[in-house]
Amino acid sequence: MTLALTSSFIADLLAGPRPSEWGDLRKAAEARLAGRDLPTSSDEDWKYTNLKALGNLAFSPAPRAAVDISGHLLPEMVGTRQVFVNGHHAPHASCASAVPAGVRFLPLSIASEACHSLGSLENGAEQGVFEDLNTARFEDGAVLLVPKNMKVALPLHLLFITKADTPLAVFPRVLMVLERGAELELVEEHYGTGTYLSCPVVEVRVGEGAVLRHERVQRDSDEAFHFGTLRAEVAKGGQYHSRTLSFGARLSRQQPWVRLAEGAEVSLDGLALLDDHQVADTHSFLLHAEPHATSHQLHKCIVDGQARAIFNGQIRVAPHAQGTDARQQSRNLLLSESARMDTKPQLEIYADDVKCSHGATVGQLDPEELFYLQSRGLNADDARNLLTYGFAGDVLNRIPVASLRRALRQLVMARTQADSLGDLS
Amino acid sequence: MLSIKNLTASINGTPVLKGIDLEMKAGEIHALMGPNGSGKSTLGKVLVGHPAYEVTGGEVLFEGKNLFDLEPDARARAGIFMGFQHPIEVPGVSNAAFLRLAYNKKAEAEGRDELDPLEFDDFIHEKIKLVAMKEEFLDRSLNEGFSGGEKKRNEILQMAVLEPKLAILDELDSGLDIDALRVLGDAVNKLQRPDRALLIITHFPRILETIQPQYVHVLSGGRILKSAGKELAIELEERGYDWVLEEAAAGGVR
Repeated sequence: MTLALTSSFIADLLAGPRPSEWGDLRKAAEARLAGRDLPTSSDEDWKYTNLKALGNLAFSPAPRAAVDISGHLLPEMVGTRQVFVNGHHAPHASCASAVPAGVRFLPLSIASEACHSLGSLENGAEQGVFEDLNTARFEDGAVLLVPKNMKVALPLHLLFITKADTPLAVFPRVLMVLERGAELELVEEHYGTGTYLSCPVVEVRVGEGAVLRHERVQRDSDEAFHFGTLRAEVAKGGQYHSRTLSFGARLSRQQPWVRLAEGAEVSLDGLALLDDHQVADTHSFLLHAEPHATSHQLHKCIVDGQARAIFNGQIRVAPHAQGTDARQQSRNLLLSESARMDTKPQLEIYADDVKCSHGATVGQLDPEELFYLQSRGLNADDARNLLTYGFAGDVLNRIPVASLRRALRQLVMARTQADSLGDLS
Repeated sequence: MLSIKNLTASINGTPVLKGIDLEMKAGEIHALMGPNGSGKSTLGKVLVGHPAYEVTGGEVLFEGKNLFDLEPDARARAGIFMGFQHPIEVPGVSNAAFLRLAYNKKAEAEGRDELDPLEFDDFIHEKIKLVAMKEEFLDRSLNEGFSGGEKKRNEILQMAVLEPKLAILDELDSGLDIDALRVLGDAVNKLQRPDRALLIITHFPRILETIQPQYVHVLSGGRILKSAGKELAIELEERGYDWVLEEAAAGGVR
């Protein structure tokens, strides 16, 4: 089959051999990519996020590599982790000995027979270029299947590490299925070194009455490009609570798409901490497809230097989704004159009996708050740093895994110069 | 301890204090009373250096030094404390961590040993008994989601932690029920010592039944119209403020 690809960027990424598994899925993705180019700023969805720097680079398929993960292990999850390096499963770095029997937490390359639903989540949103690139070329990925009514006590840990000595492209893939009444907590982390393009795709199915807590940590290298796609479908009465924490990458974009069935409960929180010339973009889509579902969204950005953050929060309430309760807040702190934030709520409400609210603030630290802290003896710098930390700490404090919460607090304290203030937990 | 001479101040160019004179000595309790909008809170905020107010004249000496040479944080470390009428909420920073930080900044300034989290834990557990605060409020974010009364309790807790030389308490009674008012009033009395001074800013005389001042000042229109002993508070309770204003207008009282 010959593909008519006009973009050399996309064509180059697809130039290598098509992986043998999932042939139909990959062909469909390639067909959608045929003739497509990288989005430009004339595309409304990409108005504020310029991909020129990306288009000027060439990325090769990522080879297997060995990495030292000792600094990234979390004590709650030493026996419940799967590690992927450069998109390949790393069996020696992984350890799933403490994963309870009945739960399948495996690389896709081993468990492909269990993954008939891969790539089938539609959500009414069309696939983007980066999602299709993933589907066309992912090497391996993680599968997580939790059987009916199983409540998994230990959190699970999923690490995607990229080691790029030359510019590499990686396509992490995750499929999670929680059957009816199952409960689970998952920590998904991305980090790496060097210049690379990472396009993770995570598919989530939360069954009836099931509960998934999903922490997503993006600590990619300063030279990395990260385009994450999340598709989640939450069945009747199910709960999906996700929190995406973005610290790294020169340019990152998160596209979570979540469909809520009747009575589902979703929280979709985000925190981005940006400096220098970093760009972090979140385009979220919450589809209230059925009645009486609840969604809460709190998105916070702390933008310093010449960095730039973008938030576009789309919420659609379908005509018969009566009793919907959707709340969205975008709170943003600009720490320098040249920092920039573009935030836009996008509510499409087709039902009449709904509670929908949204709010957005962009600003500096509140002088009243600064004064209050100063009136208790903190000097102006300490007061500023404490408030900046607190702005992020508000999101971090809700992370249920204690060691991750501590590690990220320390990271944020260092980034906000609050580390001289001692333990703030 | 505190000497205020002909102090004037404005907010956004509008004069709000129009020549305040007030002397406070260690060990004294003063009440600053007056109708709403009289400038009572403004005086407190000017003393602690709130950035919204501009001092346009006069002088304030605290322990013999010019108060306005000090930034707000330096005033706090020097021993001035104001319990605010509407304390600010600070999400993301635990109350306990904040209290420890404030305590240690002051200890550092005074050359005392700082407390580590475990030592502070023992210290603060003694202090919360004084204000009858529930332990859970230590772990919560500073004032976030606290009721009006809980915030006031937290202000007095901060006072107990920082042990100021001069404490200014602004409308401590607003938002408090009678029981909470008694608890906090008793706490303030226990904290009062011969080397400390206390300025109670209040609209209603009721709080002065618990925290009994030696001196009562009535402020209106940015000036102190009348100063007297605690019997003045009782008279205000019975007669309201109008007669003081009328006396002042007639030029009878300064």
